[in-house]
Amino acid sequence: MQILQQWTETSAFFIWLRESPSIWAYPTVFFLHTIGLIFTAGANIVISARLLGAAPALPLAPFARFFRLLWIGVWLTAISGLIMLASDLETTITNRLFPVKMTLVVCAVALMFVLRRRVFGAATPDQTSVPPSARVLAIASLVCWLGAVAAGRFMAYF
Amino acid sequence: MKAWWIVPVWKTLHYFAIAALAGIVGLVDLRIFGVAKGLPLRPLQRLMPWAVVAFAVAAASGYALLRINPANSLGPPVNVAFAGKVLFLLLIGLNDILYFATGLKRQVDGVGAGENASASAKIVAGVSLALWAGVVYWSRMLTFLAGAI
Repeated sequence: MQILQQWTETSAFFIWLRESPSIWAYPTVFFLHTIGLIFTAGANIVISARLLGAAPALPLAPFARFFRLLWIGVWLTAISGLIMLASDLETTITNRLFPVKMTLVVCAVALMFVLRRRVFGAATPDQTSVPPSARVLAIASLVCWLGAVAAGRFMAYF
Repeated sequence: MKAWWIVPVWKTLHYFAIAALAGIVGLVDLRIFGVAKGLPLRPLQRLMPWAVVAFAVAAASGYALLRINPANSLGPPVNVAFAGKVLFLLLIGLNDILYFATGLKRQVDGVGAGENASASAKIVAGVSLALWAGVVYWSRMLTFLAGAI
């Protein structure tokens, strides 16, 4: 932990990221984080909405194809998030809401795996009916994503 | 003195609305591009009124945030990021008007499962995605570009 902190405090990259007034430093990483999370959370919200009764005519199986792009979104958000975390390790890690947000994010991403495999991967090609267990997963996913976004917003005030 | 939680509550609502909006716009545009081709576009586009609702919520919460801290977005001096955001939102409006007025929306409604959308529909979807990404960019730059000019 201490070594990690020392590294992020002395490495040229993180000093540049923290201190450079350039719009291509911290603001750009922050933008990548925002766009990644908005797309990933947003697509997951829509996917949950479909499972909870929106656009009932849409077959379930083709949604599986969206997940490859969603994983890119997850990686983009995670990597940019890690860079921001490392550039300001102490403030973030001592924030009381940070563990709440991370728990919700981990649950949300785990639910993506489950939804991809158990719901969209298991659906027959033309299936439009949603099994009850999928509705439960959809509600859990919705709660995790919305909770993570809210925790992220509130972190700046804690 | 306002309660500390008012701003983050509005921001959270703003983000919820943007996420829902981006989710719908993103999935519809990606399907027009040919991702998840098994989805017929007519029922997918039925989600678009919900995107309008989400936009209204985003606009209302955005307006509330603007009222709470006008200097952050409006300056003076002019905030380049806010100007860029408004410009891009207007261009999105224009793009959407074109999409409906040219009959492209109805044409896309006819794209069934496994079928390709037309090249013109793909161009409109690409412009939409790029402009929305631009809106997020300008929004993120609001605080960084305040007072840049």
